[in-house]
Amino acid sequence: MNEALLIAVVAAPVLGGLLIRVPGSPAGADRVNVLSASITAALALTASVIGALHGAGGLHGSWFVLDRAGAAFLAVIAVVGWCSAIVSPAYLAGQGKSMFTARRARAWYYTAFHLFWAALLALALVENLGVAWLLIEATTGASALLVAYTGSRNALEAGWKYLVLTTFGLALALLGILILFARLAPHGGSLATLDWQSIAHRAGALPQQSALFALVLILTGLAAKIGWAPVHNWLPDAHSEAPPPVSALLSAALLPTVMLIAWRVVLTLGTAVAGHLARDLMLAFGLASLAFAIPFLWRPMAWKRLLAYSSLEHMGILALGIGFASPLATIGVLVHLAGHALAKSLGFYTAMPLLGHEPSASRRAPRGLARLSAPVAAGVGVSLGTLSGLPPSPLFFSELLILAGGIAAGQPVIVALAAVLMALGFLGLAHTLIEALAGDARGHRWRAGRTVRLARRLTTGVSLGLLALSAVAYLLVGTGIGASLMGGLA
Amino acid sequence: MTGAVTWGLVAGSLAVLVVRRRSSAIVLVAAQSLMLGLYALTQHARTSTALAVAGAILIVKALLLPALLLVTVRRAPKARLIETEPPALARLTIALALALAVEQLIPRFGLTSAGVEHAAVGLLALGVLTAVVRRAVIFQALGFLTAENGIYLAGLSLPGGLPVFIELGLVFDLVAVVSVAAAFAAKIHEQLGSGDSSLLEALRE
Repeated sequence: MNEALLIAVVAAPVLGGLLIRVPGSPAGADRVNVLSASITAALALTASVIGALHGAGGLHGSWFVLDRAGAAFLAVIAVVGWCSAIVSPAYLAGQGKSMFTARRARAWYYTAFHLFWAALLALALVENLGVAWLLIEATTGASALLVAYTGSRNALEAGWKYLVLTTFGLALALLGILILFARLAPHGGSLATLDWQSIAHRAGALPQQSALFALVLILTGLAAKIGWAPVHNWLPDAHSEAPPPVSALLSAALLPTVMLIAWRVVLTLGTAVAGHLARDLMLAFGLASLAFAIPFLWRPMAWKRLLAYSSLEHMGILALGIGFASPLATIGVLVHLAGHALAKSLGFYTAMPLLGHEPSASRRAPRGLARLSAPVAAGVGVSLGTLSGLPPSPLFFSELLILAGGIAAGQPVIVALAAVLMALGFLGLAHTLIEALAGDARGHRWRAGRTVRLARRLTTGVSLGLLALSAVAYLLVGTGIGASLMGGLA
Repeated sequence: MTGAVTWGLVAGSLAVLVVRRRSSAIVLVAAQSLMLGLYALTQHARTSTALAVAGAILIVKALLLPALLLVTVRRAPKARLIETEPPALARLTIALALALAVEQLIPRFGLTSAGVEHAAVGLLALGVLTAVVRRAVIFQALGFLTAENGIYLAGLSLPGGLPVFIELGLVFDLVAVVSVAAAFAAKIHEQLGSGDSSLLEALRE
């Protein structure tokens, strides 16, 4: 029953992506997209509830594992994917140019979108490092086409950079996996050799030097896909040039999902290397990402590009939480993951009316939105307020939990550095928020068109979700859930 | 794996870094894949199903992917000399230094011989270098294929090879990624009138 449900979770978007080509009209494709997305999200959310309720060890099958942490990631991918799917028709209705021929553009967009989403859902479930690598590589092809969808020179540049950098990064990771395979099965192995459980059981017997070499290659390769500094060059370009629903899926679902794989690698292979080297690597990526991102959060910058640098900052915070590896930090990571996903997606969806009414916002920072459109200003305010960590947003609680988890893990110096960088990030984003809402407005008040109405509805829904998440963050502390989350992952 | 095969593979990668014509580089990478495929089929096909599958996949890959890139090159306007590239001698010097560094620095990691390990990591490094120093987008795609050949070389040298599922998944991903890269290359030519990737730098901060 459970296995059939999980197969359906992955198969539904694949089928949806193929069936979208059946209706000849754009309206028909839009309807199939919304129907398929709703079925997929319902199936994935059901599976994540089952996974969360099943206990610390989670559900295991021949190809899948659904532990509590995986269930949280699955739910986030489902919600962000569904939101992106339902706003896509409004985006496509207002989009003239495409790298595809006009007649086929919409079908290509939806097919690539649903295949990309299917790969992400499968990635949160797979029980095997080799298969996870194949799925990550599969996301690259589909998402690169989506990044370059508009066919503009900038979009082609962003898509090409994304394709090249992540593909080479993943080639490095594959070499690491191969080295791990060679050492785990010196006389020949099977696919099961790369199962998470198998790696965890045999890691202690691996030669130190080879394990370290494999670990560094795998984590560096995955870092290129996650967008951790210093291998993040594609991230600001791809997120700022992709269609807003795709940017949301990239930032709020792709990056964290690949990070889940990095997290499992650290927990399973980390015991094979001396000391806490695997966790130290995560801390190094985390601090580097924060340090690279902060200067950009202080600059006046185009809205989507600002959100992209904010993604770099938040992936850094998540890496720190994983590196601290304490129960408090682990709860912080999961709350941060969900809060970041909601707030960042809302930010990208708000870019649709923003760019529609003020195309120059693709090149310069928005200003005076409160006077131009109350719903768009509310969307920007909720998104940026949350991303800056303003209380009572869930990211305020999650950042506190991660820092407290760092102190509990005996890392006061890293915590102090991270706290300073987070405070600087908060000040930079708070300044941008004030300018965006209350700065001098350019032009006249905007009409409440389709995308503005959509932004209003999404802002209401996301705000409620964020408040609920803050309450969950408050209630989870001291319940022992953090320890069980880590146990399930390992 | 014989020394002649590994030397042949590395020499092919060095040549890709030096040759001027895109079609010559495509043929070199195709020959490299073909050499790997034939080696797997002739040496291991009777003893290991995984290696036989790997060999067959490599031969298909050696024919299919370069053909795709050749079609892209044929459709694109005639390539102009890309002036932002370092000269061929400089490229070769950097490549030889990199190969030497790999030979000196890479530790043993469990393949049948140190030579194969160095050649596999060397091909991966030369593939990355090709993408960095050759500015034509087609060369960057070829750099990826060279790097993948390094991975295949390592896979063929594992006892029993890589699991068949991974082999098949790998070739599926490879075809998808190279097809997307070919589509990008065609669009970039259409937009810029050139395949020079150094012209794609408008988004820098």
